[in-house]
Amino acid sequence: MTSVVEKVIGKKFTFFSGKGGVGKSTCAAATALFISENDRKTLLVSTDPAHSLSDVFNKKIGRSIFSITEHLDALEIDPSFEAKKYVRRVKSDISGIISPVLISEIKKQIEIAYLTPGAEEAAIFDKFIEITQNKKLNYDNIVFDTAPTGHTLRLLSLPKILGVWIDSLIEKRRKIVQLKKSVDRIYGRKGKNNEDPLLSLLLKRRSRFELARKILLDKNRTCFIFVVTPEKLSIAETKMSVELLKKYKIEITGLIINRITPEVKNGSPFLEKRRKIELQNIEHLNALLKVNILAKIPLLDMDIQGIEQLRKLREYI
Amino acid sequence: MSENKMKKTILKIKENLSDFAEGFFKEQAAGILEKEIEDFNDMFMILCFGDLLGIPTPASYYTLELLPYFIGEIDRWESRINRRSKVFSERCARYDFCC
Repeated sequence: MTSVVEKVIGKKFTFFSGKGGVGKSTCAAATALFISENDRKTLLVSTDPAHSLSDVFNKKIGRSIFSITEHLDALEIDPSFEAKKYVRRVKSDISGIISPVLISEIKKQIEIAYLTPGAEEAAIFDKFIEITQNKKLNYDNIVFDTAPTGHTLRLLSLPKILGVWIDSLIEKRRKIVQLKKSVDRIYGRKGKNNEDPLLSLLLKRRSRFELARKILLDKNRTCFIFVVTPEKLSIAETKMSVELLKKYKIEITGLIINRITPEVKNGSPFLEKRRKIELQNIEHLNALLKVNILAKIPLLDMDIQGIEQLRKLREYI
Repeated sequence: MSENKMKKTILKIKENLSDFAEGFFKEQAAGILEKEIEDFNDMFMILCFGDLLGIPTPASYYTLELLPYFIGEIDRWESRINRRSKVFSERCARYDFCC
């Protein structure tokens, strides 16, 4: 076992993040593969709307769980499918409660929900919670290949933002229910004593958000790995996201530096110059972030695709 | 006979008094509470569906599932909002303590 796998194998949830195009999916796939080869049932989940796991494994992985090897399964969350599923559920809830005349009235509202900003993220977030909570998914490790930094940060900060929002909703609704009861009491009406369905729905949502928050903040169960390339832009973005995550009290477990120009005997001055710059950048990264560097992967002379080629990364990850 | 009649009259007066009290006090108390419910309902509505008015909501996606349980109230709310001619007059009426 090498450094990354060793660090990650004891944690149930592992998140891979980083700037677009640095090799997150490849690193996540390789890590998941090596964990699974230690006799642990592993699920690799892509939360990136532009999926690349299918390309990494050279297999058609879809929105339902796909078996790659004996111990390794993979899944690509399809946000628009999840959102549609949710809308369908709401529609069927509606038809059980109100008259068809009113249904046509609020269909407009429902269609808007597809288009609201954040719908995709929310759909991914819901699926993420479902995966972490589903007891039928009996996995030892779940590895998340997340979308490029901005997207992921949104995803990780959602529980906090939504928590604040839902808290104030619950408070208002409670007050309304309480006041309605008082009015009933004045008139001596026997108010319906059953729970307000709206309030119980809100409370259920809140408890799900809280679960997600708990998982993200639990250092014993969850770890975050950032993938960077030894380039200024990649490092700058990583620094920004590490600091932002700190704000949400999420700590980075370690870094993987990908695509370092290797030392070549009788190498061209072009490559030598590039190498020097990269070494400087790595030093800078070290001073800047003070985060463990778990692995350094050199630039390889081929593309990585399929399980056989992923195994070539074993000596590094 | 006259005793019975008196009893009837007293009962009637009692009934009227209690009707008066109910009308005067209960209605007023309930009216105040109902106004407050309206206030909270307005806030709740804006938090839930503010995006339709141009106020961004962090989770308009999640308010969708509240809709089925809401639809009756939305109807009442909508007609109340439509009925009032002036927002200020409704506000000011709340501070009218004389009756």
